[in-house]
Amino acid sequence: MTTMPDNALTAPLATALDALAEAEGFTWTRDAHGNAYGWLRLAERDTLPEAARLLAEGGARLATVTAYDPVREPGVPRQEIAYHFDVHGTTLTVTVVLDPECPSVPSITPHFRNADWNEREFMEMYDIAVPGHPNPRRLFLDEKLDAGIMNTIVPLSTMTNGASTQDLWERILAARPGDKA
Amino acid sequence: MSTPDSTTQTWTLPVGPLHVALEEPMYFKLDVDGEIVRNVEITAGHVHRGMEALAMRRNLFQNIVLTERVCSLCSNSHPFTYCMAVEHLAGIEVPARADHLRVVAEEIKRTASHLFNVAILAHIIGFKSLFMHVMEVREIMQDIKETVYGNRMDLAANCIGGVKYDVDAELLAMLLAGLDKVERNAREIYRIYASDPMVTGRTTGIGVLPPDEARRFGVVGPVARGSGLAVDVRRDVPYAAYPQLSFDVITEEGCDVRARALVRLREVFESISIIRQCVATLPEGAMTVIMPEIPAGQSVARSEAPRGELMYYLRTDGTDIPNRLKWRVPSYMNWDALGVMMRDANVADIPLIVNSIDPCISCTER
Repeated sequence: MTTMPDNALTAPLATALDALAEAEGFTWTRDAHGNAYGWLRLAERDTLPEAARLLAEGGARLATVTAYDPVREPGVPRQEIAYHFDVHGTTLTVTVVLDPECPSVPSITPHFRNADWNEREFMEMYDIAVPGHPNPRRLFLDEKLDAGIMNTIVPLSTMTNGASTQDLWERILAARPGDKA
Repeated sequence: MSTPDSTTQTWTLPVGPLHVALEEPMYFKLDVDGEIVRNVEITAGHVHRGMEALAMRRNLFQNIVLTERVCSLCSNSHPFTYCMAVEHLAGIEVPARADHLRVVAEEIKRTASHLFNVAILAHIIGFKSLFMHVMEVREIMQDIKETVYGNRMDLAANCIGGVKYDVDAELLAMLLAGLDKVERNAREIYRIYASDPMVTGRTTGIGVLPPDEARRFGVVGPVARGSGLAVDVRRDVPYAAYPQLSFDVITEEGCDVRARALVRLREVFESISIIRQCVATLPEGAMTVIMPEIPAGQSVARSEAPRGELMYYLRTDGTDIPNRLKWRVPSYMNWDALGVMMRDANVADIPLIVNSIDPCISCTER
């Protein structure tokens, strides 16, 4: 279904958002109970604050944000971020594609106060920079851990072999009492 | 207490990570001026388990088991909403009987969860006999869960395309008798929370979250409804059997700890009414449909968990392992809004204010 269901978004908001989108514009899905879900991919990630402003003025609520790797193949870094909004009962997902060389996306906290935690979460989990964030400290992960832990793809065989770094064994060997003498 | 800041005359008071009101860890750094809180900084992450990374290592069936273990008090809402996301993506239509049984499981959990939260309120203010009494009433719901589902917390009620449990006349009679007992007791409990001076004296005007701040932080569930916002996913984005059921969206105007407790208690009566309607109109028919092949795609599903809107986002790539599964729990925004509720509060009221958002840390951190 690609035509917008009745009353899902107001016409000015739909038109303004459509102007920022990739060529195909909105796509729409419905669940078994007839609720409408809109999907929109922005042509340029830098227009995200503009889209956020339009949505905030249209009475939208930021529900959550999902960063993800759409391919999940080792050696092919790609990242996208899906911003999920509730617009008077319609669920609207606005997606931006990040630059794999330098993943960065502007903060939408000026328009949605509750973007604060969401942005901090993908900053630490996916190592994505968020220029303009008012409080860019860690949310869940300790400072000692590297950012971008969710970008790490460990093959199952490596994980089940219990592969460990050389460093650990060197420390164990160094601590053996017999070797000190 | 750490050193005072000589320019502002405030002190830094650490509360947590192990906290008097909660069994789970959360760290609050409070700037206090005498007994009054001036600023709050929250440090989370003490029980972060990387469950979203685990979800990308499990197939679509295994994730039902995983999501049921995100949190105990809303353990039914997670697999329920996750299954709805899969069903939305694959265009699966759930049989009417299963839709009703899903609502029964959800409302049983909501009743028990709300009673638990208001019981802890009584515990915090030192009203131990009330705490024991509410927990005793909640125990009736626990007995119902154990009898109908064989489990007191994780019901394992949902599967993709329907439910895994059926009820017969004997079970339904037991369920309805239990609800009658809970309803009788809940009326008296509601009266105590609404009018007993011991309770109202500690809860009125405490932890205020004005409606505009509630909107700004995007809070949901009883926290939003206690600030007068009539938001409820069951009505706003109807799912399962809710479109066929009649119930009120409960709101209170107090914006304080008392308002949030009263919303929860009044919702107990709505839940009981919803379960009775489901039992009275329970359609015959299949429990589940045969699961089709799940195509590549993306979907969102939302439900009203006991603490408010729960949202699942699912991406699939044509295999049986999700490309991404993300969920956002109601406590997520409610935590951040604590900064507003605690500002200018008395230090002694902090456990009460934290408890009033019915916080779930294992949910929030995943």
